[in-house]
Amino acid sequence: MHFKARAGQKLADVLLQENLGKAKSKFVGMRAKAIVEVDAFEATREAAKSLRDRALDDLDLWLEHFEQQAARRGAVVLWARDSAEICRLVIDIARRHGVRKVTKSKSMLSEEAGLNLALEAAGIQPVETDLGEYILQINDNEAPSHIIAPVFHKSKEEISALFARTHQRPALTDIQALTREAREVLRPHFLSAEMGISGGNFLVAETGSVALVTNEGNGRMVTTLPKVHVVITGIEKVIPTLEDLSTLMRLLPRSATGQSISNYFSLLTGVRGQQESDGPEHLYFILVDNGRADMVGGEFAEMLRCIRCGACMNHCPVYQAVGGHAYGWVYPGPMGSILTPLFTGLENAIDLPQAATLCNQCGVVCPVKIPLPDLLRKLREKQVERHLRPLTERLALRVWGWVARHPRLYAISTQVAVRYLKWLAHDGDRNDRIRILGMATEWTRGRDFPAPEGKTFREMYAARKGKP
Amino acid sequence: MRVGLFVTCLVDMMRPRIGFAALKLLEAAGCEVVVPTEQTCCGQPAYNSGDREAARQLAIKLLDEFESCEYVVAPSGSCAGMIRTHYVDLAGEGEALARRMAALATRTYELTDFLVNVAKFDQVPGDYRGSITYHDSCAGLRELGVKEQPRALLAKLPGLTLNEMQGAEECCGFGGTFSVKFGELSAAIAGKKCDAILASGSDAIVGGDLGCLMNIEGKLRRMGDEKTQVLHVAEILSGTAKGAA
Amino acid sequence: MNSREDILSRVRANLGRTDSNALSGRTALNAYLRARPQGPRPKIDGDPVARFRAKSELLSSTVEEVSAANRVPQAVARYLAAHRLPAQAVCWPALADLPWGPSGIAVAARPATGSDLIGITGCFCALAETGTLMLCSGPDTPAATSLLPETHIAIVPAKRILIGMEEAWNLARSELGEMPRAVNFISGPSRTGDIEQTIVLGAHGPYRVHIVIVRGE
Repeated sequence: MHFKARAGQKLADVLLQENLGKAKSKFVGMRAKAIVEVDAFEATREAAKSLRDRALDDLDLWLEHFEQQAARRGAVVLWARDSAEICRLVIDIARRHGVRKVTKSKSMLSEEAGLNLALEAAGIQPVETDLGEYILQINDNEAPSHIIAPVFHKSKEEISALFARTHQRPALTDIQALTREAREVLRPHFLSAEMGISGGNFLVAETGSVALVTNEGNGRMVTTLPKVHVVITGIEKVIPTLEDLSTLMRLLPRSATGQSISNYFSLLTGVRGQQESDGPEHLYFILVDNGRADMVGGEFAEMLRCIRCGACMNHCPVYQAVGGHAYGWVYPGPMGSILTPLFTGLENAIDLPQAATLCNQCGVVCPVKIPLPDLLRKLREKQVERHLRPLTERLALRVWGWVARHPRLYAISTQVAVRYLKWLAHDGDRNDRIRILGMATEWTRGRDFPAPEGKTFREMYAARKGKP
Repeated sequence: MRVGLFVTCLVDMMRPRIGFAALKLLEAAGCEVVVPTEQTCCGQPAYNSGDREAARQLAIKLLDEFESCEYVVAPSGSCAGMIRTHYVDLAGEGEALARRMAALATRTYELTDFLVNVAKFDQVPGDYRGSITYHDSCAGLRELGVKEQPRALLAKLPGLTLNEMQGAEECCGFGGTFSVKFGELSAAIAGKKCDAILASGSDAIVGGDLGCLMNIEGKLRRMGDEKTQVLHVAEILSGTAKGAA
Repeated sequence: MNSREDILSRVRANLGRTDSNALSGRTALNAYLRARPQGPRPKIDGDPVARFRAKSELLSSTVEEVSAANRVPQAVARYLAAHRLPAQAVCWPALADLPWGPSGIAVAARPATGSDLIGITGCFCALAETGTLMLCSGPDTPAATSLLPETHIAIVPAKRILIGMEEAWNLARSELGEMPRAVNFISGPSRTGDIEQTIVLGAHGPYRVHIVIVRGE
């Protein structure tokens, strides 16, 4: 189903609309308060953009450096071209270490790869531990609707019912109690899993480390307790130094949830030392391509700067109206509208680059200054080049363009058109009357079409000047 | 100051009075206003739809028509923004054309921005009496920095009260061709804007872009509101819109 | 071609990588690693200890100050009693020699397990900018002690309260040489906002964090 049809469903979903309204004011308001603390916010954004570009402009060199440093500290660095390879590598590692259960903290890449299903098929039990991801998992592996707040779209009543069903316990209505129940249910899994899988917010080349930004503590559990830790993250996540990490950490939590710093922020380097009592004995990095390598150095390279904060979608009027599921894949909102066609194929996501007003509120809040509307427009250009737009649309634009280049023809056509429109609107029964090129019915789906004055400016101006 | 007035295709077709209001304001500001008679469209619908070639041809046409003007002024943040921020991109590889487009860009202004920052105009002839709320169009605000300029001019009208609505800077859902490609979604977003407008308790909603205003007006009427006036800032400032009273 | 070579070769091709620009690229890379420039930083004025305290409290940690290390057990005992928590904890080995016994707290200097309710740690340093504790893992500073128990008590020497993360990295580089397996920055009790964007404390990590700042030795 295309975005448009899904969006229609979401607009009609009363419960979703309520949840979206609540979430919007929280995310937008809290971010606005938090960025005041940064003092020179614009300068910090510029520095963040610049350090991301530094690594991306020499991505091969920085990745090699990261790999060397990580290996030096006992990590195994693997590379995956695509989703299938990610799954294969993870299952291999699990088998090698006799893993029967995996605890997972948030990894959008594991969503890209459909990893949980692959693990289950291989007889390995994956347990999501991020509260939002856990809720989705027990709801028949529902997809997340937001990259930071995966169950943004659910009310506590829905979650309560889900817990009651799944945990076989009486339904709780208090959010605190629900959280406590999740803690109790997940704690034994943390302690018994042989392998932990996490994503990676950043890979620090200087030290060969992964940086993890979390709030719940599950990220720490998953990377401290099991004997094997696997980090799955995109090749574009590498950054040069710890100082660069600090700069990004001023922007990421604030842009995402309005926090000055996330509750837990960990820098993990290498395996457990000889006399340490916790930490993994085996650490694997899976550095993923899955469409990223092809973007390097190209027209859409700026999108690779993305630090997955979610600010763009939080501020997007379209996302605010329909939520994340309408976008149909792992990444919603403006960043999703760009990545989904690039990663899954332009022809598979025709609507997404179109489903934007290009208002640029996303671009204004993006901590690494990605020019999101420009990239959306470029995708639209690609669609036109590849003849992926509907014929009526292409024709309409061509006709308009041609007429607009012929002023006399333009004058006549517009004079006729506005008189016709005025006549149509005259009766007051305007809504179902206007049917021009099929486009106007789209307009009148939810609003009226205000009547024109009935003459064009050009003709009136010419008349005033006394010209014929 | 020799100003070329680009009325925009929407104003030309739907609300000529906005074009005349802009003309009146510019003349009151002491400008010699020329209105190139063969002007049509700035090319934004084609540009935003990804049809660069169609957009480019319209950009070249506009350039030819307006190049000799000292300034180009449009009663629209979106069209002025198109010329100012995107025409250079459309020039492509040709160096000479790029230079001409860049020169045109630096001389192109949205109406209120021009009046305040270039013409230094403050003898606003309007006499609107009533309360209004102002919608900041996305292109005007985020491409051109139009925010304080209309407010500064509106503040000169003693009978006018400005109520800022919640989310004045949020998109109204028009988005040009978006409004006719994703009509339901566009109208839903407009609905939120209209809720904020109605909550502000103002006699009129005022803005600098006719696309936004038509979108808002259409939604208000469909919502059953017949009272709230929908006015372009040029109409209020020039005195062609009188007021609620 | 294996995946690594496939991916890297496409990245190199897209970047226009040549032998000569690889050489200059590596030179620039190494220079940048040596220089490690900092980004723009907010102005943090005033007493770092006071700021650390204020920021920690904003994050729902509780904070108190004592004048010397040997006063810590009394302070902890008061805290545990006030919250009706058991006077029984695990701690990092370096803290074992504090006078816990006289304060009535049974402290075992061993790593935390799933059933320990109270974990007492020190810290590598703390950050005034955001009210954050920095703990470095090691044989004598196990990470689980600040993670598994429901209550985490952190003992913070006032002179280890630094301005921001950049100072912390520099201190780690100079005192530790290499990064430890885990550097954990902790900013308050664990929390989640996943359900209706409502913040709840005590997700999977500790429900409460109590910080005891030690002014003197």
